[in-house]
Amino acid sequence: MTITQKTEANAIVLECEGRLDTTTAPELEAVLLPVFDTNPTVILDFKYLEYVSSAGLRVLLKGQKKAVAVGGSMTVRNVMDEIIEVFEMTGFIDVLTVERI
Amino acid sequence: MSIIKVENLEKRFGDNIILHDVSCEIERGDIVSIIGPSGSGKSTFLRAINFLSPPTAGEVYFDGERVDKKNVNEVRRKMSMVFQNFGLFSHLTALQNLCAGPMKLLGKTKEQAEEKAYELLKTVGLTERANHYPHELSGGQKQRVAIARCLAMEPEVILFDEPTSALDPTMVGEVMAVIRNLSKTGLTLLIVTHEMSFAREVSSRVFYMDEGGIYESGAPEEIFSAPQKPKTQEFIYRIRSFNYDVASVDFDSFELLSGIDAFCFSHAVDGALAKKLRLIAEELVINIVVPKFKKCSLTVSFSDKIGRYEVTVAYPGSIENALDTAEDDLAAMMIRGTATQVEHKYEDEINTLKLSL
Ligand SMILES: Nc1ncnc2c1ncn2[C@@H]1O[C@H](COP(=O)(O)OP(=O)(O)OP(=O)(O)O)[C@@H](O)[C@H]1O
Ligand SMILES: [Mg+2]
Repeated sequence: MTITQKTEANAIVLECEGRLDTTTAPELEAVLLPVFDTNPTVILDFKYLEYVSSAGLRVLLKGQKKAVAVGGSMTVRNVMDEIIEVFEMTGFIDVLTVERI
Repeated sequence: MSIIKVENLEKRFGDNIILHDVSCEIERGDIVSIIGPSGSGKSTFLRAINFLSPPTAGEVYFDGERVDKKNVNEVRRKMSMVFQNFGLFSHLTALQNLCAGPMKLLGKTKEQAEEKAYELLKTVGLTERANHYPHELSGGQKQRVAIARCLAMEPEVILFDEPTSALDPTMVGEVMAVIRNLSKTGLTLLIVTHEMSFAREVSSRVFYMDEGGIYESGAPEEIFSAPQKPKTQEFIYRIRSFNYDVASVDFDSFELLSGIDAFCFSHAVDGALAKKLRLIAEELVINIVVPKFKKCSLTVSFSDKIGRYEVTVAYPGSIENALDTAEDDLAAMMIRGTATQVEHKYEDEINTLKLSL
């Protein structure tokens, strides 16, 4: 997985490309959680993300909790249909702030 | 008019009939992939078409003209062949390899030949290697030079006999990329290959060879997704199985997942389906079965009876459906959301979970 960090208006954008799975979830966790200490408004751009497994969902959940704890927000945007399906089957669609493609 | 027409072609070596009564027509611009078991006569067929090893009976027509011993050289210039082992002149540089034929056979001057050669080396990404000798090139580079040399003769048809099978896996992609580009130029290509994903992606038609001929032919979707005849089905489905044994909790999960990716790629499994197979394997093996049972054996296979993919995970222990007792409810939820059917069996102290997609 490749993670690219950008700044957009008042938010920090993390563009994720590839797969968010058992082998790569720790990479996202290491980048995502500290970001909230710099700027509490975080956007995850999943335009080029193809795959999410439960290990990835757990990291998203940690991010969401951290966002709430610091009084910020975490938006997941440009999510492709197959990943939306995963969010739906696990109820994550209601937990996360998701914007589709 | 078809660019190649084969009528009742027979090829025998002594009493051994390899090809029997083969007929087909290939249209200009067709990209034909030729697949089939080893020994089914794929190479023999290509070599018979261009008279490298002439048919023992039957006719081949090129652009309406019957091919025979007299016009075979002229025909071969328009229908050149790329071999598994490159066949470059080892004492000539890449550039010289590309110029030799056009100067000798097409009557080009050195300047004309070189100008064209540079242009072709550029299209295969090898401008920088123009003055290198074959032994100074990687396998993938050699094969790209061989393709460029073929193009230098300005052919109308190119025959490829397993152009990537002598290459390191890391170099297969660069050669396939070159062929993929060629497939968009209007040239007619016949490609013998074992790379099923590639065949499915680039070809307009697929010939499955078996039983001494073209046993079944059709569009790539027809042959790969819905083959009609028994031997084709057996060939397409038999190869669709992947096995991985996990011996301890410290197993290499990266190897498991990339193994599934490679399996899906080489068997042309549709992208969305490939992700589902991977997801089930990842959640079930890595997150549910191995943490609790330490060992398991995973099989991903295609069942032609039900026409669906199945993921089977077998693990030792007392009777227990790991999916029902999973502590990782998120993983279990994802599996249930993805599989269309889940079956648990217990036999000889082995639990087996079979999930269909
Ligand atoms: N020169 C020859 N003399 C005798 N038999 C031959 C000759 N060339 C090929 N054969 C036989 O013809 C049959 C078909 O061989 P061919 O090389 O065409 O198969 P293939 O489909 O290309 O196989 P592979 O996938 O292994 O390349 C084989 O049984 C082979 O032994
Ligand atoms: Mg062969």
